[in-house]
Amino acid sequence: MEKATVVCPYCGAGCKMKLVVDNGKIIRAEAANGYTNQGELCLKGYYGWDFLNDTKLLTPRLREPMLRREKGAPFETVSWDEAIKFVATRLADIKAKFGPRSIMTTGSSRGTGNETNYVMQKFARAVLGNNNVDCCARV
Amino acid sequence: MNRFILADANKCIGCRTCEVACAVAHRADGDVTALNDANFTPRIHVVKGGDISTAATCRQCEDAPCANVCPNHAIRREHGFVHVLQERCIGCKTCVVACPYGAMDVVTYQTTRNTGAAVNVLVNKAQANKCDLCHTRDQGPACIEVCPTNALRCVDRAELEKLSAEKRRRTALEAGALYI
Amino acid sequence: MSVSLDDIENSKCLFVFGYNGADSHPIVARRIVKARQKGAKIVVCDPRKIETARIADQFLQLHNGSNMALINAFIYTLIEEKLYNQEFVAKYTEGFDGLWDVVKDYKPEAVEDATGVPANQVREAMRTYATAESAVIMWGMGVTQYGQGTETVKALAALALLTGHLGREGAGVAPVRGQNNVQGACDMGVLPDLFPGYQSVTDPAIREKFAKAWNIDPDTMDPEPGVRLSLVPHLALEGKIKGYYIMGEDPMQTEADTSSVRKGLEALDLLVVQDIFMTKTAEMADVILPATSWGEHSGVYTCCDRGFQRFEKAVEPKYNVKRDWDIISLIATEMGYPMHYDNDQQIWDELRELCPIYYGVTYEKMGDLGHVQWPCPTLDHPGTPILYTDLKFTAAPSGKGQLLANQWRKPAELTSPDYPLVLSTVREVGHYSCRSMTGNCAALKALADEPGFVQVHPDDAHKLGIQDQALVWVESRRGKVITRANYNERVNRGAVYMTYQWWIGACNELTQENMDPVTNTPETKYCAVNISTIDDQRWAENHAAQIYSELKARLRNAVEEAKPATASIA
Repeated sequence: MEKATVVCPYCGAGCKMKLVVDNGKIIRAEAANGYTNQGELCLKGYYGWDFLNDTKLLTPRLREPMLRREKGAPFETVSWDEAIKFVATRLADIKAKFGPRSIMTTGSSRGTGNETNYVMQKFARAVLGNNNVDCCARV
Repeated sequence: MNRFILADANKCIGCRTCEVACAVAHRADGDVTALNDANFTPRIHVVKGGDISTAATCRQCEDAPCANVCPNHAIRREHGFVHVLQERCIGCKTCVVACPYGAMDVVTYQTTRNTGAAVNVLVNKAQANKCDLCHTRDQGPACIEVCPTNALRCVDRAELEKLSAEKRRRTALEAGALYI
Repeated sequence: MSVSLDDIENSKCLFVFGYNGADSHPIVARRIVKARQKGAKIVVCDPRKIETARIADQFLQLHNGSNMALINAFIYTLIEEKLYNQEFVAKYTEGFDGLWDVVKDYKPEAVEDATGVPANQVREAMRTYATAESAVIMWGMGVTQYGQGTETVKALAALALLTGHLGREGAGVAPVRGQNNVQGACDMGVLPDLFPGYQSVTDPAIREKFAKAWNIDPDTMDPEPGVRLSLVPHLALEGKIKGYYIMGEDPMQTEADTSSVRKGLEALDLLVVQDIFMTKTAEMADVILPATSWGEHSGVYTCCDRGFQRFEKAVEPKYNVKRDWDIISLIATEMGYPMHYDNDQQIWDELRELCPIYYGVTYEKMGDLGHVQWPCPTLDHPGTPILYTDLKFTAAPSGKGQLLANQWRKPAELTSPDYPLVLSTVREVGHYSCRSMTGNCAALKALADEPGFVQVHPDDAHKLGIQDQALVWVESRRGKVITRANYNERVNRGAVYMTYQWWIGACNELTQENMDPVTNTPETKYCAVNISTIDDQRWAENHAAQIYSELKARLRNAVEEAKPATASIA
């Protein structure tokens, strides 16, 4: 059994917790003695991790890259290579035709972390050539 | 004297973490991921009113009305709490009616029973659901452990005496102040 | 926030305005409870009798939408009763003379009707706050999700500046950030006007610094601030935004006025969604890029008190998914800008070098349980638990705190005979944001599920003939949803409250977009609705259950029925 130290993925309180992993599966969450939470968690911290098992209680996990060839067509699963090429080509076309400011990007205020947010704004500013990057700080 | 779980309404924020901890602690597999609407039957309940938020659960009464009325003698005072012998419970709900705190609940679940003739049948088994102070759990009551504001505690004789002494002292000093 | 969570616990006075910690941050609410136990005075201003109001010394139950009027009355009181710290104001602030011009019409007695708060309560609250040894003003979305949010925040800051409750232990301002890494997203420059580390995109020297580090020509960078997320639907409809790359967000659930968002997304040439779940936004995408989840990767978050904290990977991702920054790097490379990172730390160290206020926040310093608060400019700097200890307010060139007040403006959409109730959107304690994560958790689903709830005062409910727990229609000028009525004696009469987590009882189908002109935050705390009863409750229950299961089936099928293209061609 192993324990991974994580920060709760829900609110901004920044609670440190340990995910107890047995055989590659999380079996419970324990409160850790973080600076902000001092060994306490709320219900989302203790009981909010089993979405990782793709329970489909509300909606399924995204497991493969997918795309639609045209609006309204059903999703097709594609390789990563194809998905990346598709996005890159389409973004480059839009940028060429309508200018850099015609593309919007978002970071994420949720589980992905600071590194991804840094990389996304770098993508907007260095690759697309605009400042069209924002997050859901208003909800 | 039996111990019992008491909530401090001045600390409770009504978050219901205690309810989930209770439901998980009373599952044989201890598996939070197996909870659903049907089997989520906590023995502690958060109550919110206009001016109060608190958690209500069994007081482990010394002369427990639930035990006194149980027609099948399924409820006993033993191990320092009011204990339901689930194998004797027939689900008649007399205890639910008798409990002045609304702390007793009768729930049913499906189980297989051997009829004795080598035939297993699926039956509804009743269970009188009440706080058992997590007596089989090494760490003690699960609700107390998780409460994020430490609003829950287990009160024993010494603790109760301390509470009363404090109240006596306050009353006496306040009364004394009036006569100075 | 300018203080740390420790300061909240150790302050002598908590002034809580439009912030319901118990539902939005239970572990912060815990500090409020502890402060109370230690004898702090607590003053709560909120239209609802929230948990903190129960334990408060004073509870000012103001009318929805009257924030600015009440705060102006506070400022009036501080000045009129000479409760303000004259020495502090003279030394460290500017704009005092202008304040009175604005607030002179907000005598507490004169604005009682507007705010619903008796004048003596307003005065008493300010006496408590001003005379406290230390005080923290806490606020949340109850302040910012109004068309006048920014001005209101400035006025709250003016209260702190007038009284000198800043820059000391237990004294400061605490806007409590909502999502686990919303502070981090802002810290990392996921804002249209700021690079990482709060460095302006309009400053040529800053652009040059980043261009050099990123190995690009600074002239290819945009010198103007970009577009805010809340404006995208309109810009898409106008044809100005053609491509939208959404990562880890679900605007179809979380943004105001869903039908407007839907039209905007439909107008795009290209919608790319990178996420972990099939959300209602992902469902509309042209391309879906599946990412690893929390638990499957490591990194750094920033919590609400500016503390950087590391988190580890717990389990291996099971599916054909990639780390978010890896996906972005692959697209960048394919577009002709080579980008590659081996791990999180490599990115972290790149950005530390570019951001003076984060430079000292090394992986080693954060460690396993560490918490390092920016600014942390040098390797031996311990981080900054409290901002403004030098009483320099660098937002203004003078370094002085700006005292600003503004006239109160009413919310944009007022009630009318057809829509007689105010709808305010709030949060569910056991669910989070768009609910794609918590809605897939067994225990949290068992606690609360669709079609969600509308909290209504029993007196209003009786007048409307609404039974507790009955299904009802809630309707605004923009939409109509079914949800469950929930009697709640703590809400004020004339207003109803819906939590924004529900996909069937989706309050954002009803909300409106009147935005704060500075931040473009929509006024999701105020719009006009009506509630109607449903006579046939059995039909209603079946209907709600049916549309819920249809929605779930549709989203599940979108994933499970997707097949490789070659199979369909063959």
